Amino acid sequence: MAEQKKTVKFIIERQDSPTSKPYTQEFEIPYRPALNVVASLMEIQKNPVTTDGKKVAPVVWECNCLEKVCGACMMVINGRARQACCALIDELEQPIRLQPARTFPVIRDLLIDRSVMFESLKRVQAWVEVDGSWEVKDAPIQNPYTATTAYEISHCMTCGCCLEACPNVGPQSDFIGASPSVQAYLFNLHPLGKFDKEKRLEALMGKGGITSCGNSQNCVEVCPKNIKLTTYLAQLNRDVNKHALKNIFNK
Amino acid sequence: MINVSFYLRRLHSLCGLVLLGGVLIEHLLTNASAMGGPEVFNNGLAMMEQIPQPIFLGIEICLYAVPILFHGIYGVYIAMQAKNNPSEYGYSRNWKFALQRWTAWYLVAFLIWHVGYLRIYTKGIMGEHISYALVQSTLANPVVFALYAIGMFAAIFHFCNGITTFCMTWGITKGPRSQCVVDKGAMGLCVLMCLFTLAFMSSYFM
Repeated sequence: MAEQKKTVKFIIERQDSPTSKPYTQEFEIPYRPALNVVASLMEIQKNPVTTDGKKVAPVVWECNCLEKVCGACMMVINGRARQACCALIDELEQPIRLQPARTFPVIRDLLIDRSVMFESLKRVQAWVEVDGSWEVKDAPIQNPYTATTAYEISHCMTCGCCLEACPNVGPQSDFIGASPSVQAYLFNLHPLGKFDKEKRLEALMGKGGITSCGNSQNCVEVCPKNIKLTTYLAQLNRDVNKHALKNIFNK
Repeated sequence: MINVSFYLRRLHSLCGLVLLGGVLIEHLLTNASAMGGPEVFNNGLAMMEQIPQPIFLGIEICLYAVPILFHGIYGVYIAMQAKNNPSEYGYSRNWKFALQRWTAWYLVAFLIWHVGYLRIYTKGIMGEHISYALVQSTLANPVVFALYAIGMFAAIFHFCNGITTFCMTWGITKGPRSQCVVDKGAMGLCVLMCLFTLAFMSSYFM
């Protein structure tokens, strides 16, 4: 007697163009051990036939590194924003629902346009103005304890989980979200970057800056890199408040 | 660069905790005197009426009306920027985030009714004195009693959760442990204040 083949069921929210209406389709693929969502989507791509036997256009999604480093494959899996590459089928409840992260504009199916995050990084000046280069012995030194914190924050891969989970980020609001805000803190810690600290704090005080944080703290819960986002947001709150007092009394 | 939204938001936070927190506590204490019986309650009100009318009205406008209107109107703007999602992300803080906004919506409606009926209509237009008997007859209607109790619980939760978020917004509590301690303390205070409210509200019928 042939053993019933184990399968994995997916309900995928699809959308043909940035402006068209979303709809769902169901897919079923054969199970294999250690399968993850990205590998499943590849399986669907090979044979894009829905459970009711209709041949459809393959599902569009984005992925790159396949090891939770690049952030590209972020999508909403069973209602939660996370990386598809490290979402193991064995740990997910079936049918698995895949949706695009709608806090960003959807391009097609699960593919989203995250350029708003890049714009936010530019806004908070998430870089160091290098005004020269040094021999190793002459370079400004970094406090090793500060470097540990900086290393943690530098893990951020701009995946956008924190923005998708945040109730205050979305088309209804102009909040830039946790990730870009905390990147400003990262560059404020840098021995050369800190020269522009006030510029970054000013940017964070602007409309949609850290002011729009409502302390729902979803960001820290969903961050795939376990960055202590709320701790750094609170530190930034301290910094911008001090900066605001300086603005009031020093001028 | 003038960061208007930054200063407005910080003012909103400060105004909510300090001024409106004060209003809430004043209401709790004044109304708690009902537990001492009609005499104590009416004497308290009579003492307040000793304050000359223009000064009393000035206090009402500066410490009650203006802060409530500012916090309420700017608060509605803030609440509209949120898309509550506790059903997807059911963490305790996210639930409180949503509750902070839901209680706010209830309080907008409740305060229009409460201030409009008691302060503007009954006291202002009809010229009636607020008294133990008046409050008792108002609360005698079980629907009114329930709406008032929910209004008080909403205000108390909004205030207590406001303490926690105030500490985060002002950078007082930074790490998760200190935030958790303040959160638990504030929720404890919330329970105590709700029980206290229930006690003086039902004392009218004991």
